[in-house]
Amino acid sequence: MLAASTRLRWTSETGPFGRRQRRPRGPRLPVIAVTGFLGSGKTTLIRALLEKPEGANTAVIVNEYGEIGIDNALLRSSSDVTVLLGNGCLCCNIRTDLQETLRELFADRARGAVPSFERIVIETSGLADPGPVLQTFATDRGLGREFYLQALVAVIDALGGEGNLARMPEARKQLALADRIVVSKSDLAEPAASERLVERIAALSTAPVTVAVNGEISPSFLLDEPLSMPTRLDRGDADVEHTHGLCSFSLFFEQPLCWASFEQVMAVLTALRGPDLLRVKGLIAVQECQGPVVVQFVQHIAHPPVELEDWPGTDRQSRLVFITRDLPREPVAQLFASVAQIAGPATPR
Amino acid sequence: MADTAIWNFRQLAHHELDGFGGIGEGMSIQIAKDGRRVLWLAHESAPKNFTAVDVSDPRSPRIVARADLPQSHMRSNSLETVGDLMAVAYQTKEHGQQPAGFELFDISVPEKPRSICFFDCSGAHSRGVHQLWFADGEYIHMSSGAPDFTPTHPKDDQFYRVFDIKNPSKPVEVGRWWLPGTRQGDSEPPPKRHPEGADTGFRPHNTNVYPERPDRAYLGYIDGGLIILDISDKGHPKMISRWDYHPPYHGFTHTVVPFFDRNLLIVSDECVRIEGGDWPKLVWIVDGRTETNPVPIATCPLPPLDAFQRRGGRYGAHNLYENLPKPNTWKSETIVLATFFNGGLRAYDTSNPYQPQEVGYFVPAAPERSPTGAIQINDVFVDERQVVYTVDRHVGGLYTLEMDF
Repeated sequence: MLAASTRLRWTSETGPFGRRQRRPRGPRLPVIAVTGFLGSGKTTLIRALLEKPEGANTAVIVNEYGEIGIDNALLRSSSDVTVLLGNGCLCCNIRTDLQETLRELFADRARGAVPSFERIVIETSGLADPGPVLQTFATDRGLGREFYLQALVAVIDALGGEGNLARMPEARKQLALADRIVVSKSDLAEPAASERLVERIAALSTAPVTVAVNGEISPSFLLDEPLSMPTRLDRGDADVEHTHGLCSFSLFFEQPLCWASFEQVMAVLTALRGPDLLRVKGLIAVQECQGPVVVQFVQHIAHPPVELEDWPGTDRQSRLVFITRDLPREPVAQLFASVAQIAGPATPR
Repeated sequence: MADTAIWNFRQLAHHELDGFGGIGEGMSIQIAKDGRRVLWLAHESAPKNFTAVDVSDPRSPRIVARADLPQSHMRSNSLETVGDLMAVAYQTKEHGQQPAGFELFDISVPEKPRSICFFDCSGAHSRGVHQLWFADGEYIHMSSGAPDFTPTHPKDDQFYRVFDIKNPSKPVEVGRWWLPGTRQGDSEPPPKRHPEGADTGFRPHNTNVYPERPDRAYLGYIDGGLIILDISDKGHPKMISRWDYHPPYHGFTHTVVPFFDRNLLIVSDECVRIEGGDWPKLVWIVDGRTETNPVPIATCPLPPLDAFQRRGGRYGAHNLYENLPKPNTWKSETIVLATFFNGGLRAYDTSNPYQPQEVGYFVPAAPERSPTGAIQINDVFVDERQVVYTVDRHVGGLYTLEMDF
């Protein structure tokens, strides 16, 4: 070393997409965004998390102080963007702007102005469309480098949830885009109502569902880092009902994909139907890579791909989950198949 | 008092080492014949010499052996193991004191370390050995004084020495090198001293030699900066290059770790003054493509000054994980692990060497009875299981961790 070569090299730890990571988020700060209609129980859920040991070292960003019901006596300051709670958690007022708040929070943490934290929970406003939140983490290079949206959690209450789903397109979209779904207030509703709601959810989403008991769920349901990807075993259930124009389907590939082909397919889809690609996420075997590559798209925006050190389980098949508006499985599968015929063997089954 | 701050590490265990939790810069793993994984730790100061901890289960470390120093004016500070052989450095507080030198132990039975030999390095101008590097089972490279070495300045009392220990009961010195001008009789003039209060000596600290380049020694030469030696002829080491960045920086270059595949050198300073008195003490990324001209290209982000400067004790860089070329050690040429005293243990991703990125930290709360009121993380070691071991300088003992980035 140090004599003959004239270039600074990547190492064997680094692939085409940078350092191989143990998990999709790499070292980035995990963000858990909680959506749900006003009164659905988001605040109760977050407060219960903060009171558990697993919830320590969490910074919380809320829309309004009143909504999370913080005892003012716990606030060190009530005027700053960032305030410190007595339990060591942070609470930020999101009156300004989510990106600005997150940037300030990260900078304050880096310069020691706020206590160390290792995750962020965002409580979105009741009517919020989760799309812009998803895009915030996909598009903003500053945020995408430091933060990773680990889970979009939808809270729906057993009392009014079914009605909201029937009447409100925002409610359906929150569920369709969610990585995890919490049914709240089941103790206040008739058991049959909770069961009907869970069935209704299953028609809209393949995301894991849990029912909160007295406002509480296992912290791991919110905090764990599963890939939330269907496996082959799930194939039969992967395509859900296409109601109100929302579609959800999965594609699986037997052979490793050629990255150039994959890029081209996604370029066509985003160019022609970008606004309708509500969310695409996948774990794919790429010909040039050792580990699987995590890909994510939100409408026309692509997250930077992340190569993992290894597959999370024994199933090493490439898989892609699409959540779309009025774009069903078949033409997408055909597009992959057509490009594969031209470029190489990577036909979806 | 600050709580533990942890990000992208997971703490597995904390062991205060039964009231003797002050650990220096010697951390080495032995796989004993019965399969136990034993971590040998050199104490920072008397009365303890070394402690052996069974870390087979890193969630439940257990002390298996411990030795006292014969004199209170001694410190061991540094040790290394290769197989069942352990080398321990002994340094005294003052010149002329004894015993000063190094000792070899047979640790085949970890509970009963057996002395094989003691090599005397004491002398009228010597404090003995501060640090040693022992990785190949044949040679020990060290920073040591000697009875026949009279420095031009008392603070330049240690220099680079190599011993052949193929016969462990009879170590033989096979080479030595010092910065020209630091020994009486040199034809070169003595180096210009650093300012009063920042004059910590022109002498080596770490003396690293790797199998990728067995003909090179990478020295952190304290106030002399980074020095690369050609040791292809161990009897006649020759300086290939020297990067001296002080002044304006405050001296005390501590460790040089080459990332061979990437033509990089990772260089750490040691903070030696409290409350940021010698700020900034840094971890440097140095472009080593041209061996004769090392060029600094970046520094790793320091723990935030405002938050740590007055937290207690020292604040700034110290040891690096050194990619020890031995079995049962972790190797990475992308991740840098560095210790920062009250700034804790920090991890950096150097994928882009021009912009190293912090990817994790572990800053334990102040240990009970901490004399500084803050943690003083002193050294770090990582085994091939990727279990991270890090230690407090004064009382906190051993922390075991998992990397989670």
